[in-house]
Amino acid sequence: MRIYNFLCKKVGELTVKYSNLPESYIKRSYEQVYWRNPKGYPQYPAAQIARKKYRFTTNRPWTMQFARQNERTTQRKKVFLEPIGEWMIFKGDRVEILVGKDKGKQGIVSQVIQERNWVFVEGLNTHLRIVGKDKEFPGVTIQSEAPLLVTTGVKLVDPETLKATEAEWRYTEDGEKVRVSISSSRIIPIPKAAQETMDYKSKELYIENVDKDTTAAIANKITFDPKLRTFEMDIMESMGIEEDRVPAKSYWY
Amino acid sequence: MSRISSLINFASKRNISLTVPREGKRNFRKFVLANKRGSRIHKQQQMGPKAELEVDKRGVRDVGYYLNGRFVKVPEMIPELIVPDLKDCDLKPYVSYKAKDVVQSEFTAQQLFDAVYSKKIVTDFKQGKLDADGQALEPSEEEKLQAEEAIQRAKKTGSDIF
Repeated sequence: MRIYNFLCKKVGELTVKYSNLPESYIKRSYEQVYWRNPKGYPQYPAAQIARKKYRFTTNRPWTMQFARQNERTTQRKKVFLEPIGEWMIFKGDRVEILVGKDKGKQGIVSQVIQERNWVFVEGLNTHLRIVGKDKEFPGVTIQSEAPLLVTTGVKLVDPETLKATEAEWRYTEDGEKVRVSISSSRIIPIPKAAQETMDYKSKELYIENVDKDTTAAIANKITFDPKLRTFEMDIMESMGIEEDRVPAKSYWY
Repeated sequence: MSRISSLINFASKRNISLTVPREGKRNFRKFVLANKRGSRIHKQQQMGPKAELEVDKRGVRDVGYYLNGRFVKVPEMIPELIVPDLKDCDLKPYVSYKAKDVVQSEFTAQQLFDAVYSKKIVTDFKQGKLDADGQALEPSEEEKLQAEEAIQRAKKTGSDIF
C-alpha cells in the first residue's frame, strides 16, 4: 500500500507548489479513470481501472496539451528516471553546465520540471528551430533551450568562488534546513525566484482579487468570544431560533 | 390397446420446454441494480410489503419509519439547512496570499472554564462571598447550571450529542 501511495505521487512537489492548486485537484485533472467501483457497498472493493503510465513533459499535468499527449490510445516508451531523495536545484539558482556544447558555462535556472529531473538554463544549451515555414515564407527562427538532467548535466555553483560544487542539505544551529556546498561549507541560499507561482512572483507582490479575496487584516482578526454554548446553541441564539421541546433521556449500556 | 395406454404411466416421459428456462430470473442480491435497472421480475421482487429484494436508496436516508406497512414521516428527520445572512460579512471565499498563517494552540476545556467562571470566583474570594465548601453565596446564571440541565439544553437543538 505504501509503495502504491509512493508511486501515485507522480507529480513533483515543486510542480504542486508552483501551481497553487490543491493536490487532489491536480490528481483529478490528469488521472484517467475508466471504471471506478461504486462507494458505500461492502461487496465492492475500492478498485478502479485507470491509466497508470503518463508521459511528463514541459506541459503541466493539468493542461489540455498534457491530456492530448496522454490520450487513451497513446503508449510511450518508458522514461528511466533516477529517483532523487531531496531536490537541490530551484528556479533562479546559478548553475554550471557539465555536458553539451555549452559545457563549462554558468547560467540561471529558468524552469524546473521535477517529473523528468529536468532543468532549463536561461540562454544556454540552446538549439534553433524554425516555426511556420511556408512555400513563400522562410519561417521564424527561434532559439530554444534544451533540458538538462539534474543528476548529470548540471551542478550548483558556490556563491563566492563561483565554481561548480557538490551540495548537500544540512541543518544550521537554528534548526533551519539549508544547502551547503560540501567543499567549502558555504551556505547556498535559496533564490527569491523559487517562491514564484502561477499567481504571483512573491507573496508580497500578489495583487488581490477584490471580490473574492479576504484581506490579511480581516482574515487575521480575532472575533472569537468564549461562551458556554455548543456550536449549535450559539447559532440558534444568533438566528433567534427557539426550542421548547425537551428530548427524552437516552442511556448507554 | 388398453394395456399399452396403462403401461405408459410407468415409462419416463420427457417434455420439451418451449420457454427459456431461466426466464430472465437472476438472483442479484449482491449486485447493485438501482433506479431503472433490472428486469420485470427483479422489479416485482422489490415491490410489495414482503419484498424479497430491497430497493437501493443510494445512500439517502428515510425521513421517517415504517409502522404496520405504512410510512410515518418524522419532521425532525427532514434535514433543514440553516444558512446565515451574509449581509455584513467581510469574509470572502478565498484568503489573500499576503495573509500570514495563523497558528493557534488548542482551545481546551480548562481555558473555557477560565474564561467563563474564573473572574467571578476570584472577585468572590477577595470579597469573602464564598461559603465553607467554596460554593458562591450569590451564584451567577452559569454557576447555577447543573450537568443535567446543561445536557438537556445542548440536546434541545436537535444535535447528535449523546
